[in-house]
Amino acid sequence: MNRRLQAWWRKGLWAWNPASERESAEAIVRNLWLHWFPAKVSQRSMSWSYSLWLGTAAACLLTILTVTGVMLMFFYTPSIERAYGSIKDLQYAVSFGRLLRNQHRWAAEGMVAIVFLHMARVFFTAAYRGPRALNWLIGVILLLATLLLSFTGYLLPWDQLAFWAITVGTSIASQAPIVGPTIRYLLLGGHLVGQQTLLRFYVLHVFFLPALIWILFAYHMWRVRKDGGLAVLESGRAARLMQPKAMPASKSYSLFGLTPGTSVAVMSSMGLEESEQVPASPTLTRRIALVFLVVFNLTLALALLFDAPLQTIANPAVTPNPAKAPWYFVWLQELVASTTVRLGDFTLSGGLLGGVLVPVILLALLVAWPFLDRSSRACEGLWFAKERARQNLTFLAISLAIAALIFIGVFLRGPYWHLYWLTTPRPTMPRVL
Amino acid sequence: MEPLEQKFERRDFGWLFAMSILFFGLVAAGLWQEYKTAWRPYQERFRLVLAQQGQLRQARSFSVGIQQIWIPDLGVVDRCVTCHLGYDYMGVLPADLAQPLTPHPLPALIHHHGFNRFGCTPCHGGQGWATETTAAHDPGDSWNDPMLTPRLAASYQMTVGELLQMRCNFCHRQEQTTPGMDAINLAKQLYQTKKCAVCHMVDGRGGHSAPELTYEGDVNPELLDFSHLKGPHTLFNWEYQHFIAASALLPTTAMPDYGMTPPQARAMTLLMLSWKHLTYPPQYIPAPPPNHSP
Amino acid sequence: MDSHRRQLLRWFGKGSVVAAFLAQIGAAARAFLPNVLYEPPTSFKLDSPTDYPQGYTFDSEHRLFVIRQADRFHVISAICTHLGCTVQWRGTEFDCPCHGSRFRPDGSVIGGPAPRPLPWFEVSLSPDGLLEVDSAQTVPAGSSLKLPAKA
Repeated sequence: MNRRLQAWWRKGLWAWNPASERESAEAIVRNLWLHWFPAKVSQRSMSWSYSLWLGTAAACLLTILTVTGVMLMFFYTPSIERAYGSIKDLQYAVSFGRLLRNQHRWAAEGMVAIVFLHMARVFFTAAYRGPRALNWLIGVILLLATLLLSFTGYLLPWDQLAFWAITVGTSIASQAPIVGPTIRYLLLGGHLVGQQTLLRFYVLHVFFLPALIWILFAYHMWRVRKDGGLAVLESGRAARLMQPKAMPASKSYSLFGLTPGTSVAVMSSMGLEESEQVPASPTLTRRIALVFLVVFNLTLALALLFDAPLQTIANPAVTPNPAKAPWYFVWLQELVASTTVRLGDFTLSGGLLGGVLVPVILLALLVAWPFLDRSSRACEGLWFAKERARQNLTFLAISLAIAALIFIGVFLRGPYWHLYWLTTPRPTMPRVL
Repeated sequence: MEPLEQKFERRDFGWLFAMSILFFGLVAAGLWQEYKTAWRPYQERFRLVLAQQGQLRQARSFSVGIQQIWIPDLGVVDRCVTCHLGYDYMGVLPADLAQPLTPHPLPALIHHHGFNRFGCTPCHGGQGWATETTAAHDPGDSWNDPMLTPRLAASYQMTVGELLQMRCNFCHRQEQTTPGMDAINLAKQLYQTKKCAVCHMVDGRGGHSAPELTYEGDVNPELLDFSHLKGPHTLFNWEYQHFIAASALLPTTAMPDYGMTPPQARAMTLLMLSWKHLTYPPQYIPAPPPNHSP
Repeated sequence: MDSHRRQLLRWFGKGSVVAAFLAQIGAAARAFLPNVLYEPPTSFKLDSPTDYPQGYTFDSEHRLFVIRQADRFHVISAICTHLGCTVQWRGTEFDCPCHGSRFRPDGSVIGGPAPRPLPWFEVSLSPDGLLEVDSAQTVPAGSSLKLPAKA
């Protein structure tokens, strides 16, 4: 009995625990889940300090978000009369509803942060050079899709936080010249944030944006394979000498029958030394499982300890004081609030300068950078290569500036958008009772 | 296994093991947190109380779980009764049963305001959706309808019974007098005798030289001038001060100082705060008395 | 670390993950069992027993009949056991207008497509002296509530 159980176990799970190198290679070919991995990966790709496994962490978060999100769909109603109550029901009346919602929220916040950090890593290691430029562009679209997913999800609880954050966010979008108001009209499904807005944001959030992100994610992974693995493999490539290998013995056919001889030997610097490689199953799969467990444990711990924010029900007649955009957009709100320029009678709206021009310029730089980068290819796969010091510092400076603006927007802005230091007590706003 | 593979296996194994145990622990914590609700021990105690007090059929058929009073006409979902289980046992269970199991103390009132028609929060305020104590009684920023507690009432030198009359008037607004609403009755009488309608418009009747008061309870407190107000910046205090001496609050006001006594001023404030944009289905509005002249 | 201990730890670790994963599946399944129902309660109070005349009284809100015989009460469901229409009391029998089922005064089937007799619901006296019906509890036909004698 025990032997039969073991045999059955072996039959089901052999691919994940291959007993030999041959089984490992076969696992990649024969198992559906493993077919997108290469049979072997370089040990340098496995390095923690190179990639920090941020891309994997982002993918793990995407998985958690999708699973928790689909479950939440059974309990949430996208109607302005029912949305808020359905969130309250999740919080108090659905078994494990509180945890479900919290884990979804913290995974979402984490994903925006991790995706940005992943992009920063790719930049600092010049992993967007050459053929990887296409994957960088796909990554930029993935970043935008992540931000949009977070933005559309933000509205769904239909509380004051949601309503006014989206009011602020879509107003910033409307500042774009010529097309701004139309974009806002399309996003809102009208002139005001209302039922149409909620429904559009809901459909975008549960269907179109996840579909886009999963399809692009698959393409993103495919490109990694096509580009020859992680860019860390590029560094030191020149240092690897092309050495003639011993010609492999084989048979060949001639007019006189079978003769011993040599076969075609491929000599290429792309070929990696076998001694540097490990089988994807189980080494890579084990590592991914570890990253997944770390990420899941983190989101679950946060979900156990901290409740996702929920304020009073959305009230179009009462604006909370202050009204803030979500944290990943609050830096834009800071810019919008402080970049209004008045020259005599002429006013340049801060919404245009800070809300549209600055992000568009930053986005354009992101998109164009692989094609503007003039550093040598030897920098690829190296952290903070000296030759790239200036561009790395620029990226770092811009990132820190954005982080600083986010910090100010989230922690230092109080009622009427006045600045308060962390320890300064905020004025208590008047209440009814 | 090749040495390189072994190196990875060795390094990852420890972390994988630790994360697996942590995973198990966190999931166990989640299960524990879900089971360890505030209401479960109260319900189990209530079942015992029912049996002890001779309510054997009720004790037998009692099922542990979240209870709610759902009133679709009012949009009320009150889960208070998940803990406040004795609410409907007035006269059956002892009145001094410890909270949260205490029966409702006013059976005569409940006779006219049955639980299945009114629930709890239309009169008491608070967050009916909640199944946790703090969230239900004192939800802070996440709920804008505070529960009218004895402590809140005491902070305004009132009893809960007086403070609650503010909410009674949500439905009883059009009545001149209502039994059990002494403070509001007094305030409505004062509104007539002090002739507030000479300057103020309410419900389409009154003067235009002062702000309209029809929905005074909905005023946004952030828009008020508190610079001359001592004490907490609340709409209640602002209104209250108006009735004691309006000129002390707003030096340029044309409103005379009525010099009302504190109980009178409190009654008037309750009246002001009860005037809100609220719509109830017609069956909830008490019929005016036969000789009511608008 | 020797290989036997390693193997043990490996099984322990995998076991933890599998157990926790199964617990998660269980939790997800539990989440789909509603804890609150947005439905009328199955147990509810009617009027005071003295308000009911002798014989059969139809309660349209709760879809049942309150039957009083002297000082005894019982409650029969008015929901036809065929496909759920509300049956009508005809003085001597219940008739269902939808597909012609007929029931005797005690709820048993005379004819028509109804497969089962009309159920009798548990009726009791609430602590505040009203008739209380539990439509989730059926009782055998013939049982009734006897009003306590006035003190």
